[in-house]
Amino acid sequence: MSVVEARHVTKRYGEVRALDDVSLVFPEGNFFALLGPSGSGKTTLLRAVAGFVEPEAGEILLDGQDIAHTPVHRRNIGMVFQNYALFPHMSVFDNIAFGLSVRGVSRAEARERVHRMLDLVRLPGMEERKPRQLSGGQQQRVALARAMVTEPKVLLLDEPLGALDKRLRQEMQIELKQIQRAVGITAIFVTHDQEEALTLSDHIAIINDGRLVQVGAPHDIYENPGSVFAAGFLGDANILRGRVENGAVAVDGVGPVTPRSALPGQGSPAVVAVRPEKVRILAEPSGQACNRVAGRVIQGVFSGTSVTYIVETAAGVQRAFRQNAGERIHGAGEGVVLEWSPEHTVVVEE
Amino acid sequence: MAQPWEGEGMSRHLLPRIADGMGRIFLALILVFLYVPIAVLALMGFNESVHYALPFEFSTKWYEALAGNERLLTASFNSVWIALANTVVATTIGTMAAFALGRFRFRGRTVMQLLLFPPITIPWLIIGTAMLVFFFWTGIGRGLHSLLLGHIALSLPYVIIVVGARMASFGPELEEAAASLGATPLQAFWRISLPVLMPGIIAAALFAFAVSFDQFVISYFLAAPGTSVLPVEIFSAIRKGFTPEVNAISTLVIFVSMGIMLAFARLSKFGGER
Amino acid sequence: MRAETRRRWAIAGLTGPAYLWLTLTIFLPLSAMLWFSFQKKGPFGRHEAEFTLKHYEAFFTKAYMQDLTWRSLEMGLQVTVICLVLGFPAAYVLAKRIRGRWREALFLLVVLPFWSNALVRIFSWTVVLRPGGVLDGAVQFVFPGAPAIDLADSWNAVIIGLVHSYLPYMILTCYLSLQALDDSLIEAARSLGASAATILWRIVLPLAIPGIAAGAVLIFVPVIGSFFEPKLLGGTQGVVIGTVIEEQFTVVSNWPLGGALSFILLAIVLLILAVSYPFLKDRMRTA
Ligand SMILES: Nc1ncnc2c1ncn2[C@@H]1O[C@H](COP(=O)(O)OP(=O)(O)OP(=O)(O)O)[C@@H](O)[C@H]1O
Ligand SMILES: [Mg+2]
Repeated sequence: MSVVEARHVTKRYGEVRALDDVSLVFPEGNFFALLGPSGSGKTTLLRAVAGFVEPEAGEILLDGQDIAHTPVHRRNIGMVFQNYALFPHMSVFDNIAFGLSVRGVSRAEARERVHRMLDLVRLPGMEERKPRQLSGGQQQRVALARAMVTEPKVLLLDEPLGALDKRLRQEMQIELKQIQRAVGITAIFVTHDQEEALTLSDHIAIINDGRLVQVGAPHDIYENPGSVFAAGFLGDANILRGRVENGAVAVDGVGPVTPRSALPGQGSPAVVAVRPEKVRILAEPSGQACNRVAGRVIQGVFSGTSVTYIVETAAGVQRAFRQNAGERIHGAGEGVVLEWSPEHTVVVEE
Repeated sequence: MAQPWEGEGMSRHLLPRIADGMGRIFLALILVFLYVPIAVLALMGFNESVHYALPFEFSTKWYEALAGNERLLTASFNSVWIALANTVVATTIGTMAAFALGRFRFRGRTVMQLLLFPPITIPWLIIGTAMLVFFFWTGIGRGLHSLLLGHIALSLPYVIIVVGARMASFGPELEEAAASLGATPLQAFWRISLPVLMPGIIAAALFAFAVSFDQFVISYFLAAPGTSVLPVEIFSAIRKGFTPEVNAISTLVIFVSMGIMLAFARLSKFGGER
Repeated sequence: MRAETRRRWAIAGLTGPAYLWLTLTIFLPLSAMLWFSFQKKGPFGRHEAEFTLKHYEAFFTKAYMQDLTWRSLEMGLQVTVICLVLGFPAAYVLAKRIRGRWREALFLLVVLPFWSNALVRIFSWTVVLRPGGVLDGAVQFVFPGAPAIDLADSWNAVIIGLVHSYLPYMILTCYLSLQALDDSLIEAARSLGASAATILWRIVLPLAIPGIAAGAVLIFVPVIGSFFEPKLLGGTQGVVIGTVIEEQFTVVSNWPLGGALSFILLAIVLLILAVSYPFLKDRMRTA
């Protein structure tokens, strides 16, 4: 088990800043997700850790040693590629044994370790197959076994499940997590699927435009997004903008909205975010003390287990999510009231 | 608008079939045109008469004569070893270049790729005479060595293009995967890139062999009197007057090159498997 | 940037040998010939470099040189057109009328002779076309008493030999572009009531233009630079600019003139390609 750390890592491609002063610690034994929109720099960061990208500035530390300028083959990493990159001319056995054979591990020991790996990824008896004779999911497992058989210090995965269909993808998510737990390896994986990041990882780093936006445990980031971007990228969020007045945020046409946490000084602009599932949708105001906004239903999107309402309010279009417990569904054009408690009202940065 | 043959009963399918049949006959005639001279050549090598006179009378005497024709045999030997040396050198340095052009993005790469086309498209007459001028002027002179220099230059663009096509069929991920598993760049090249490229390399080697073995124009200008290669010998034999020994050796040459190209076609999936 | 430096060395080391070789044996020789084409004398003996335009002037003042160049162009045009007329239908039959393993086998049969020795193929035509040769013999056998056929040392023999040499190019390129043409397009046109001729003229031909153009260039350029084919099959009838250039180097030893003629020929080729390029590009875009 090992700690990986990026310190002030910067990488430019011409005018594009793929990584801009990124500092991050990937803790030991952690499953760490790099999440961000397309082109945000996730792959670049992962490849900088792997050694395929040489940063212009900054350090990459592996167990405290700077490896930013160490060639890939001397870093002792394991990597799983999006399209697996299995060697087409080699059998499954030779693919997995490759890392051992370049390290000079004896044939007998290699055989032993490859078999253990194949058991781990639940592919026993596939040694002599060629990669093209395997299904997508099986190739994925071989790639994983190949990356881990050398007992690398860190496992890097670039959208490892991107090439699989949805069902298989969900199965592999669970399996991947189990294997990582069992081995206890530090793993960093890139995804732009927020659900995957939430279910798989111990930690998530949200990246945008080459910059680190927020780091934390999935639950923590979800409940306490630090910025409008983080709130909107990981999950859905209603955003309300206003000015600080007497310890609350005065939103135009809505009135005061009380947040959970402290606000900046009187008169300065402020933004708050609320998750749609924290918003109650009612026909009449409840009379309880809470944040409240009136509006008109544009549409109720029914998806079986739930209804998501899209509501036009004085503070713009907002969303409310409601479990389908058998209540009447509000029709389009109906006047409604949205309510939520100050506890779920998070102050975020613009 | 109805097709004229979309009338009643039988005639409905008749016209397209006639057109189809005529098309096939036409194709067959084209094939006859392409193969008649080659067949004639092969047959005449077994004809008794010196003057290719008809009727045909079977004899192997020209092949026997060929076995005693020192000039033609030496020329054949020269042709073969030059083609082999050409194949080794052109395939090696061409594959290296194709690898770099396919794997790296760098300034000048496009220019380098474009530079492959003049040697292929400029008529060999012009390239051959230019080589003659330059080699004479610089003191490299004529002879088998300059012939080899020229053949390699002509083979190189083909090798780079054929191996490059194979190169384009796989990305850098395989080498990256090898590196991530601890392979040095050299190990990654030998154990991963080279085996994956191999079908392309073999196809390129066959092509390079054929370019050299069948090369007449360049050899014609660069061969020194006395030390010749087969196509040049055949040319002078034809000019001096026919001897069926030339038929015999020509037949051999044509079957050797067609055999090589057949292997090339198989390997490079030329023409596809549609 | 250690990795960047390593990368540069790798690129230089890998491409260096091949491109040095090409430079030394193709690009420098072409430059040297260009230089000598402006020199009074070739690289024989010791003498001062002396600039002159007289070799280029020779081309423009001597009418027979222009005639011979014209003859070469005519030869190129004739061969290209005949190859198109024979090759396109053959490619069409192969690509659209024959299926499966047969198609693959026939396709290989078509291109195979093309990869055999060009000189030897020309030689075999001399055997076929000479008086008392195979063609003559066959005709006499079928129509006894027919006039003797003697195509030896004739312009027609040159054209036949060249068409035989280059026809597979046209079939190959047309086949590849017809192959890419979707059958459903033809069926759609037929369902709209287009006649066979309309389909051919309005759909198949325009879409095959890139293949035809590629074939035409691949044939035309080497044919106008050919010399041994006209020499062996045409005899005195086969004098073209290619044979003149060749003789400047092998017989007359007037290398500067040979060089000048080579570059004039090259310039003509480039001019023709440049003039036809916009037209072809246009047609290819619409296709
Ligand atoms: N080799 C390269 N040359 C030039 N620009 C590059 C290169 N690699 C990445 N970039 C640029 O750097 C930025 C970050 O790219 P990166 O591949 O890290 O994004 P990503 O977050 O992985 O996106 P995706 O989710 O689409 O894979 C992008 O703007 C991209 O265009
Ligand atoms: Mg990416």
